[in-house]
Parts: sequence; C-alpha cells; structure tokens
Amino acid sequence: MPTRAIKAIFFSRFHHEKGSRVLHQVPEGSITPSTSPSALSAPLISFDSITSYLIPTQQFCDRLLTFCTNHHRVIGYPVCIREGKYSRNEFIFNFALVVEEALADWTCYGDVVRKLGRLLRGLEEQGGFVSREEEGVWDDDNAARGSGGIGYAGGGSKVYALCEMVLEDLNNYAECMIPIDESNTINLKLFRPQPPPPPIHSYQVPLLTISLSSLTSPISSDLTLIRVLPFINGINSVAHIAQLADTDLSLTRKAIQHLVYYGCLILLDIFSFGAIYALTAEIGGFVMEKSVQEECARYVRVPRMRLGSKSVRMGSDTASRERSRDERSSMSSEASRRSDLSPLGVTDFDSSPHLPGQGQGPHQPQTHINNEDDSSAIQHEHLITLYTSLRQGLTLKTWVLENLDLLHGIDIRRLITFGIIKGFLYRVHRYAIATHSMLPPAPPASLQSHPPSAATSTAAVKDSEHATIRAVQGQAALLHKQAIASALAVGGTATATAAATAAATAPNGSGMGAGTNSENRDVRSSAYAQTETPQRLESLASAGNADGEDEDEDGDGLPLVRFLDGMHSFDEICMEVGKSEKWAEERMRRGWGADAQFVWR
Amino acid sequence: MALPLPPSSNLHAVLLVTKSRSLGPRLVFHYPPLSPSAAALATNTAPTWFGNETSTGSIDSHSSSSDWDSSTETEGADDDIEIGSRTSGGRGSGRTASHRADSHRHKGLGAGGSAAGNAWGRQESIDEEDAGSTAEGKQKHRGVGGDRDWNTVLGFKVDALEKMLCPTKAFNKRRFELGVESCVFVGAPMFVREDGMWKKGRRRKRKEREVANGDLLAGLSLREEGNGVAHAEEDEKQGEGKSSAPPTRSVSTDSFEYPVGFEPGYGHGLMSGAASGAASEAGSDTRSNSTTENALDDMTMFNVVFVLNPPALEYQLRVKEMYDNVTRKYAKALKYEQARFQYVWRESKKVIGIKQRAKENGETLSGTWREIISVSPLAKSIAIMFDAISHEKIAHIHFDRTFSTSFQIPQRDSTPFLPNAMEPQMPGLWLTTSNVAIGDDLDAPMTQHAALLLLQDSEILVKEFEGDSKANAFLAFCIRNIVPTKSLQKIALKHNILGADMEYIASHLVYWRRARLIAPLHPRDTYIVSPNADMSALPSAIPTFAARFSTLPSLPKMLSMLSSTPRPYKTFIPTNEHREAYMDILAWLMRGGWVTQLRTFAWVRVTPEIKALVAQEMEREALATNPENVRRHPSDDSQSEIFFPDKRSSFLSGGRPSTPLRRPPRRDDEDSENNAILSPRAAYRGSPARPGSDAGSTSSNRTAIPLSAGRPTSPMHTQSKPHRPSPLHLKTTSPSRSSNPSLHAVLSPTSPSMPGQAQTHHRSPSPPLPAHLTPSHFRASLVLSPQKANAMEARWLEKIGASFDDDEVREHWPMLLRHLDGRHALEDMNTREGIKRKRVAGLVNGVRKEGWLVIVRHW
Repeated sequence: MPTRAIKAIFFSRFHHEKGSRVLHQVPEGSITPSTSPSALSAPLISFDSITSYLIPTQQFCDRLLTFCTNHHRVIGYPVCIREGKYSRNEFIFNFALVVEEALADWTCYGDVVRKLGRLLRGLEEQGGFVSREEEGVWDDDNAARGSGGIGYAGGGSKVYALCEMVLEDLNNYAECMIPIDESNTINLKLFRPQPPPPPIHSYQVPLLTISLSSLTSPISSDLTLIRVLPFINGINSVAHIAQLADTDLSLTRKAIQHLVYYGCLILLDIFSFGAIYALTAEIGGFVMEKSVQEECARYVRVPRMRLGSKSVRMGSDTASRERSRDERSSMSSEASRRSDLSPLGVTDFDSSPHLPGQGQGPHQPQTHINNEDDSSAIQHEHLITLYTSLRQGLTLKTWVLENLDLLHGIDIRRLITFGIIKGFLYRVHRYAIATHSMLPPAPPASLQSHPPSAATSTAAVKDSEHATIRAVQGQAALLHKQAIASALAVGGTATATAAATAAATAPNGSGMGAGTNSENRDVRSSAYAQTETPQRLESLASAGNADGEDEDEDGDGLPLVRFLDGMHSFDEICMEVGKSEKWAEERMRRGWGADAQFVWR
Repeated sequence: MALPLPPSSNLHAVLLVTKSRSLGPRLVFHYPPLSPSAAALATNTAPTWFGNETSTGSIDSHSSSSDWDSSTETEGADDDIEIGSRTSGGRGSGRTASHRADSHRHKGLGAGGSAAGNAWGRQESIDEEDAGSTAEGKQKHRGVGGDRDWNTVLGFKVDALEKMLCPTKAFNKRRFELGVESCVFVGAPMFVREDGMWKKGRRRKRKEREVANGDLLAGLSLREEGNGVAHAEEDEKQGEGKSSAPPTRSVSTDSFEYPVGFEPGYGHGLMSGAASGAASEAGSDTRSNSTTENALDDMTMFNVVFVLNPPALEYQLRVKEMYDNVTRKYAKALKYEQARFQYVWRESKKVIGIKQRAKENGETLSGTWREIISVSPLAKSIAIMFDAISHEKIAHIHFDRTFSTSFQIPQRDSTPFLPNAMEPQMPGLWLTTSNVAIGDDLDAPMTQHAALLLLQDSEILVKEFEGDSKANAFLAFCIRNIVPTKSLQKIALKHNILGADMEYIASHLVYWRRARLIAPLHPRDTYIVSPNADMSALPSAIPTFAARFSTLPSLPKMLSMLSSTPRPYKTFIPTNEHREAYMDILAWLMRGGWVTQLRTFAWVRVTPEIKALVAQEMEREALATNPENVRRHPSDDSQSEIFFPDKRSSFLSGGRPSTPLRRPPRRDDEDSENNAILSPRAAYRGSPARPGSDAGSTSSNRTAIPLSAGRPTSPMHTQSKPHRPSPLHLKTTSPSRSSNPSLHAVLSPTSPSMPGQAQTHHRSPSPPLPAHLTPSHFRASLVLSPQKANAMEARWLEKIGASFDDDEVREHWPMLLRHLDGRHALEDMNTREGIKRKRVAGLVNGVRKEGWLVIVRHW
C-alpha cells in the first residue's frame, strides 16, 4: 500500500495504580505529548477521552474495538490476561493503530490488529514478552514524568521496535515479517476486502482477463480449477466447460467463482446468432473515446492470412473461413470448432490465434506486417455504425445480413464481446411467462412427486403410471427403455426428430449441447399435461414409438413449467433442458398457447 | 453518479443510553427487546449485492462463498467461540465486574452529591448483576430463548455496554462510532450544556441549582415525577410559558412544525421570563406531589445508538448514511424535545421504572416491551424507527402534538447503468439517463420540464397528507392535478399554481419517495421493457395489473408487446378511446420500473465531402490573404487536429518534436491512479485503452504522440469526460477492486498481453494525409460537442447547415446543434426549445435523411 495509511501505532497498558498509560508510540508524540525532539507537535487524538475504549471492561476485551475521534480511527484489540502472577491478577494491554477516519477499507487493518493482539497475548502467556520489559518502567515513570508517554529508552524495548517495524513495513510494503525469538515470527499482510463474487450460472460464459498460463508458479492447488482453466476461452459456457473438463458442475462453478473473486475473470453470455444485443447508455463513451475505438479495432480484426500461413492452425482457420464465407458464419463457431478439435493445444487466454500480443513466435511478424493494413481497414466510423445499428428486437443474424459490407474483416463474436465487456452493449435475454391462472390444472400433478388424491377410478391407473415415471427418474435410461417407450412415448416421431434436428443444427454451437440426459426434464409431458387424460396418454403411448430422443426427454420429472415465471432466460432454459431455443419455444407454445408470453428484456 | 448499491441499512438494534448524576450511565431502552448477539451479527456480513438467490445453482455457489472468505469469517467465528468460553468462563469475571461497578459507584457519589439518590440507583444495579449472572447461568442450562434475560443486550453485559456507550464530553454533538468486531455502534451523543441547559439561551441554570442542591433537591425530583405521570404537565408547562412570555412562546411553538429548522432563534426572547417561569414551574411541581421514587433531574447526556453490522466493503457508506440521515437527526430532534419538556429524561425514567418493576416480578422481556411501548412515546418512537429503518422504509415519528417528523435513508430512484453479472444487482430500479445532470448547462429548468410520476395513487397520497396537517387543501389540489403526461410547468400554468410551489412540492414528494421526475409520458415516445425490470415481482404484479386494467391486455402481454422491436407507444394503442387507459398502463409500468423510455441521442457526422469543401475554401482564403503560406496547408493541420486531438496539446505544451521518449515514464502509475478512481467496471469499460503490444512499429512516425501525453489537457477529452457515464464514483460507494495492488496486473480483456510485458505505446492508425483536397483524402468524423466546437469543426457545421435544401431545417440548424452532442435526448428537445414535437421530428428527420447524424438509442 503506497498510501502510508497508518498514521500511528501505539501500545497502551493499564496499570493497577496509575491507570491507563501509553507506553510506546510511533511516531513520538502522536498519542500523548512527548518531549522527544522528533515528536509531533500535537497528538493526533486525545488519549484521555478514549482510554475507556482502549482499556475497556472485561466484556470488551479480546475483541477488535475501533472508534473514531478527532477525524482518526483508532483500531485496537485490548487483551486481558488473567493470571495470578500479575498484580490484581490481570494484565491488560492494547496494541492499537491509528488511521484516517475516512479510510475506505480500513477493515484490513482491523485484521492485522486482531492478529497482532492475539499474537502478543500468546507471547505474553508463553514467556511474558510484554510484561518482562516493564520492570522498572513504572518506577521511572514515578520519578521522571507526570503526564503523557513514558520515557522508555526507545531502543531497548522490543515492543517499541515492533511498533516501529509494523508501522514502516505495513505502510511501505503492505506486509511484514518480524522475527520475535527463535520460535516466533510475526507475519502480517494487508488484505483488501474484495467484493463478493456473484453466483455463477451454468449458462454464463467466463472469459479470463489475465493470462494465467504465463504465471510461473501454479496458481492453485485446486484440481478442478486446473482442469477447468484450459477450457475458459470466452466461448464455452460453464456447463460446457464442466463437460469438456469432465468436472462436477457445482465444483466448476465454484472454481470460476474463485476466479471472479480475484478479478481475473469476467462473465459473458452465450454467443449465438439468434441473440439480440442492444446499446446501453455507455455507448456515448465508445463514440467519444478514440482510444476505445482503437482498442476495439485491434480486438475485432480478423487477421490477414494471405502472406502465407506459418502455422497449421492459421491455415485451417483460413480454410474454414473460406468455406463458410457465403454464409458468413461466425468466427466464434470456428473458434469453438478449433477448440473442440484441439482442446489441449489451445490453453491460452483465447483460442483464436489472431490475438494481438499473444506473443507466439510465428504470429508476431505477421501481425506486424499486417498491422497498418488491418487497423486502417477497420474504420472507426464503421465500428460506430455497426454498434449503433444494434437494437432491441433485432437478432444478430438479421443484423449481420443488414451490415454485410461493413463486417468485412471483423470477427463478429469479438465485436459483440467487446461491447459487452466495455458495458455499452447488453444482451437482451428472452423470458417466457405463463399467466399464473393458466397453468395446467390437475394433470401436471402427474409430474410432481405427490399426486393429489384423485377420487376417480382413473386415479389408480394414473398412479401406476406415475410410479413408472418416477421409477425411471434418475436412473440410466437403458434399463427402462421399453417400459418408458410403451408407457410414455408421446408426441410422435415427427416432432421428436424435428426437435432433435433443431437442437443439433441450432446456431448456438458453443455449448448448447452440454446438458445431456441427466439434466433433461420431462418437458413434453408437462406441455401435454393440460389436456391429456390417462386414456389419451395410453392411446398416445401405444401410438408413439420408442425413439431415442423421447427417452432423453423423459429422463427427469421436472417439467418446463418451472421456467415459465419470467425469471429464467432462454439461455438458462436451454442449458438446463439441453435443447435448442426453438425446441423449448415450440413446447411452450404448444403447451400454453397464447398464455405463454415471451418477453425480451 | 455511481452504480447504486441495493439499499440495506444493516440496522440490528437501537439503544438509548443516558447518563445522569444519580443513575450514572444507564441503558434506558433497546429495541428490539430480543436482540441478536453482537457475535452472531459479526459473522453475518455478506453484502446483499446479488439479492436472494433463486436459481438452483446458486445454492451451492452461495454456500461456497463462505469458504474462501475464511480469512475473515472463520476468524470471526473462532473469536466468537473464544469470547463465549471466556465470558461463560466463570465467576471471576463477575467479580471484576462488580468491583468496577463499585468504583463506579464512588464516582457517581462524587458527582451527584446526593448519597440517597445514588444509593438507590447503584444498589439496584449491583443486585442486578448478581441476579443476572445466576439467571444467565440458568438460562444457558435451560436453553430458553432469553426472553427473561434482563442482563445482556446484544450479548454484552448491560453495565459494560452502558459504560462503553457513554463517551466523554469531547464527543458532544460529534459522531460517536464504536466498532466491536464488525458491529458498529453509531450514535450522536448529546450533552447538557455547561450551564445546565439543553439549548443555548434557555432559562434555568443548572449550576445554580447545584449550589442550592439541598433545597431544590426535593422539589426538583418531585417535579420530575409529576412530569412522568401525565401529559397534563406538559400542557401546564406550556401554559406557564405563555403566561411568562406569550409572544415568543407562541411563535416558537408554531415553528416546531419544521424539525430541521428549529434553530431560528428559539427561546431567545425568553431570557427575561426565564426566572419566573422556572420558579413557577418548580412551584407547581412541588405542589403536584407524587412520590414513590426519588430521582434527580440530572441527566447530563443521552446517546441514541444505532447498531449496524455493515459488510466490510460498504462500511463507510452505510455508517455515514445512517449517521447523517437518521442518527444525528433523531438525536437532534430528541434534544430539542428535551430542551422543551425534559422529554428524554422524563420518558427515560418512566421506562426505567417499568423495567425495574418487570424485572423484579420476573416478567418476560417481550411482554414488558409491549407495555413500555404503549406507555412511553419515546420508546414507541424508537420502536417505530427501528422497524422502519431496518426495513429501508420511512419512519414517521410523532413526538408530541406539535412536533412530528420523518426519517429515512434516501434511496436512489434511478440509475443510468445497467449492472452486469458481476456488479451489485438492483432489479426494479428505474433505468434512465434522464435524471443525470448534464454538465453545467440547464440543471434547474429540467425540473420544470419534467413530469412528476406519483408512485402511489393520488388519493392515497392526499389522505396521507391530510393526516399530517393544515395547508393540505392546496397540497391535495396540487397532487390531484399532477399527471405524468404533462410537465410540471404546464400543470402549473393550467391550474394557476406558482412554479416555485410546484417545484417545491415535487422535490418534497421525490425526496420522500412518493414520486419520481420523469420525462413526460407521450404516446409518440418509445418505451421498452427495462433490462433492469424485476422479474421476480411478476407473480404479484400480474394480478394487481389485471385487477386494475381488467379489460385490457395482461401484464405479460403488455411486456411482450413492448419488448419486441421498439416502436412508438401509440402504435400499441388500438383506438383513440383506449388512449387514456393505455397511458395509465404506461404510467403504471413506469412506476414499477418495468419499462423505460428509449431515448434518442445523436452526433453530427461530418463527411469527407464537407471536409474537402471546407479545406478547399480555406486554401482559397489562405491564398487570397497570404499566397506564400500555401505550403502550410491549413487544412492539413486542423485535419490532423481532429484526428489526433492530442497533437494539438502537445504542440502547445512545448513545440518540440514529440518522441516516444517524452512519454511520461510512470505511465503505469498514472494508470493505477486512474484505476484507483475508476471502478472495476470502469477499468474495463471506460479506462483508456491499454496500448496494445501489436502497435509500435510506427512509433517513429512524426505524428506518433503517445495518447497519454496530451490527454489531460486535451479539450476534446475533458469535454468527453463529464458525459461518459462511466461510474467514476463507484469507489466511494463500493469497494474498488482495482485498488488491489495485485490487480494492476489485470489487463483489459480485450487487449491482453503478458503481465509485466513492456507496454509499447501506440498511435492513431491513420498516417498523416498529404494535402490533397479531395474527399478521398478525408475521413468522416464526428463532431462530439457542437457547442464547444473548435474553429474547424465550426466551419464544417456551418457548411453542413448551408447545404440543407429545406429552409426550415437550415433555419433551425443552430438550435438543433445544441442537442446533437450525444447527451441531450432528442425527445427532450420540444420541451426545452418550446417547439412542437411534430416539428422537431420533422427537423431531425430532415437532417437524418441527409446522413448527417449518427444516432444511438438507449434509455
């Protein structure tokens, strides 16, 4: 901490006859007036008015006490040791430090004081570290002086030295290591409080802000973290990462949350061409700041390959770009393809090779050569035009088609990502709302774990069926394939395959396929439940065929209903269900008809 | 403008402590009766930035958060255990405590000078302690919830707490802030004046009384008893006051309506009548001869203490908010009442008496508290205060007939920033830039042009005010006439209300969270579903909406319509008859933060053609005036000036050729300074681009001036600063992540490079242009602020203005320019300039058609 935030450190003691006294203070004169030539002219605080907080009653000892006085904040940790060897059977002292009252994050000093207090307590209990050097001091005091600080010969006291060192080291280096004796060392470090990390959702896309791979020492012994890191590339969603790294989803989330906490990671949304992005109020900053535009131009530029590809990856990149030129498919899908192909090869910050400054030998000269060319190729004006033409209600796909000419040589995914990172774009998520009264009435009970006591004769039939369903829940589908097929194959092949293809061909190539059967929900049943009677179910069941898709869909009992409260974006729904947006929408429309409203927000 | 944090008072208890000569420090009242222990509070300090988790995933991720906070949290927990073991440790502590109490008693004796009175107080308290420790022990065994635990508050022994919360006189009227672990006690101690009065210029002289202690003792204490019995006393007193100094007194009682302003010379004229007043009071008291207890009117200090446990990151903010808005104001109000009627001390004794009795009878705390609150207005006010403030509401405190007031911690009603996934979430907060003050120009008039959106129905509001007091006929009239579709100015004009009155009412309503200033709702404007809408409120909002607008589309339907491609609101209105209802819907949606206006902002785009034209013109001019100077190519210089705004300043700053070496050596420091000011978000968003490592090949170019060199002085940049709504102030409200030294290594994710890699500076990508004056040698650019355009820009704008075919557009071009700076919404133009909306649209379209505008739309 370069701020020299600690204004003073002092050590005060309660003497059974003389009351509370300051024994040591650094700098001199900061707490009580001192005659020393180097002393401060006036004390920072008035010691007398705060003694009751420095040396408080028993109740308040051994905990961190802070209080403000005279625009300073005194942070102390009064220690009270009760032992027979002391006069009046107790020994009370306080090692306190003084900071500015307005200091924003003073709590890290509190931690230091607390630790010091406990340490001193331990040292005193072990060998009388504090009390030993007091011998004679109080007598001197009697003779020498009336008020104020006690006339120690400053050099002789270990506690004084401690005050001095802690002040200097913490102010200069934000940490200190002070050997006390052969078995004790004081290690202190100031840890700034960090904002709490947000909850991590499986549908979020993490992007590292620093190159962790360049760090020499391993960043963590967290195995999940180490496994997960290579797959964090700004494209893969958390769920996808967990799948790729073969790690538990909740552990993956936790690992990513760690990275967010330490500020080395930011969260994006799943990029897809069906998504909508719109401007926030901060677009003004982009338009007005040339430097941001330059940064953007560098970031979104697609590298020129015509000088001959020096690496295989570059070559394949070009090829794939040419292949998909007419469709103007995203760089992101390429990137994800690349990372899919060689997930271990690309462990860098981002898998795309044209990252400026990635520092990989072969690329360097190339980017150099193309630098002039490229950055002038992307005109800032074009960037502004592109960004400002994004708006609510306009999918990326349409936007791309409208702006084909301007997008030449621009990585669309990066263009969007840049806006998100800088905060002048936001993703307009889509939510589904079913009016509450319109929720399917009784039948969906079949999908819940506790069917209501239906008095009809069909109840038994129902129940048996539910039993089947429930039996299936959570198990590997294989065993029960036939059972499910006969009992529940609803919906017909046509839709099922349509859904399947929809899922497969969905543009959200980057991680949509992550959720597999274990995560699947019984969407169809819920969608149908509104109208289906058991009889109908049965007839359908006989009509239906045992398609692989069907099974997957029926894997779990939780219906799509729970997503219809307007709280769950389609990103989330799709991730949970493991299906495409189209599929989910279709199901909702079929199940709820006009009662399902879709809101972009 | 800062990224707002969710309101959260973190208030956990309110304590009233008094110090008197007879009783010493006393914890008179605390609320809630069953307070959580401070130790428990200390461990629970996670900020509520992300609301209550709803999704499945967050449960484990949430629980995980405690894992790595261990550095602080587990330590805290350990600490609690330690504390617990130590305090429960034994009789020893009890002994010292009583010892201290003894010493304390001696002190009390010395100060009070009345052995009898003090003995009464202290004797009791010693008994308390003994009883307390046994009772405590019992409770621990029984595991009862502590409803009979009379001796601890917040997990502290009452007497210890009392002592801690009674600071020395040095804290008079200062902020008293005592932190115990992560709990903080915020108070505003009020001391009696040296002359024994609570207000400057009050009558009685306490010192005199002390001199005459023996004589007055009986009378005074009796008087206090009398006070405690009934309100009649209060009236009597006032009556006396009037008789002794009628005019002043009546004036001052009138002014009591206004809590903050009780300074206006209250009681100055009373000095003359003081003596007689006091005498007669004393006399009357002696007569009203009620006796059970025997206490002195001798309070020397009282301290209202609010106990918070703010998260470490929000500590300063929360404590400051609480102190400035609630603690201090409340204490002031109490002091004012104390000065008038000995309010605090009278009530305190009442409360102490009840507590004493209840404790002796072994009653429960909660029962007793109910009784106290029903009997004592002071206790009741504390309870109200706690209930309201701890739930982020407004506390309406009624002190007595003539004085009631409200307290709140003000909340933000809008924000221009949409928080990203990693920032504090405040769903439901209105998202708009319309409340952002734009620079220096036009601040005040905006209130006039804004409309007032009542957050409650006007009738409810009117009723509320009727409860309040007098001049409400006018107020009710105003409120009833407020419509969100008309600007305040228009309403005022229409109903003959003074503009200033209207504004005053508006600001009052806004401050007390009853209304919001919005741009007048208009069917021609575009509204979108706010990305910050609180979707979790849907389930309750849908039926409310349905009940209110039963024949109209449902809430989800409305939201769905508004969330597709943005269209003017009128396109959703089926027929003219529906117009009013739909505007009501819109107002309702605005109220709940469901929708926000999509506003249009624009800059002027200068095309190469214009630039070429101007350049040619200038060359001609230059030729005409000074033929030798042709070579200088004025256009070139000014041209590059626009492209390289920094160049100009660097020329100014010395005129010597800039080389890369002139780059300030401590660029890193500068950045880190920036970062210290900027929020983490700004570090990503607003902070100047980190020079990428890929540039630099051209750094030897003549025009290669490091951006950083000229930035601070470049007018362009300083202009852009105030506009860019980067949350510059986040630092003050929320902890800045970037202040972490280790994070200076963090690079912008968009221009990553290895940490520690030398940063090469970069330059603008465009090479200097040869001075050919054809459009192909110019690039289009934007005029960021036409009002502050430099000479070249002004010429361009002039040229553009001259190019319009439409006379009307040409005529209004200068007026339009005032709004084409990217910060003034074009929607506001009609009200500001006083032109018809349609006409504005026509003008803007005229300019837009020609392609002169870069238009952005956001809230």
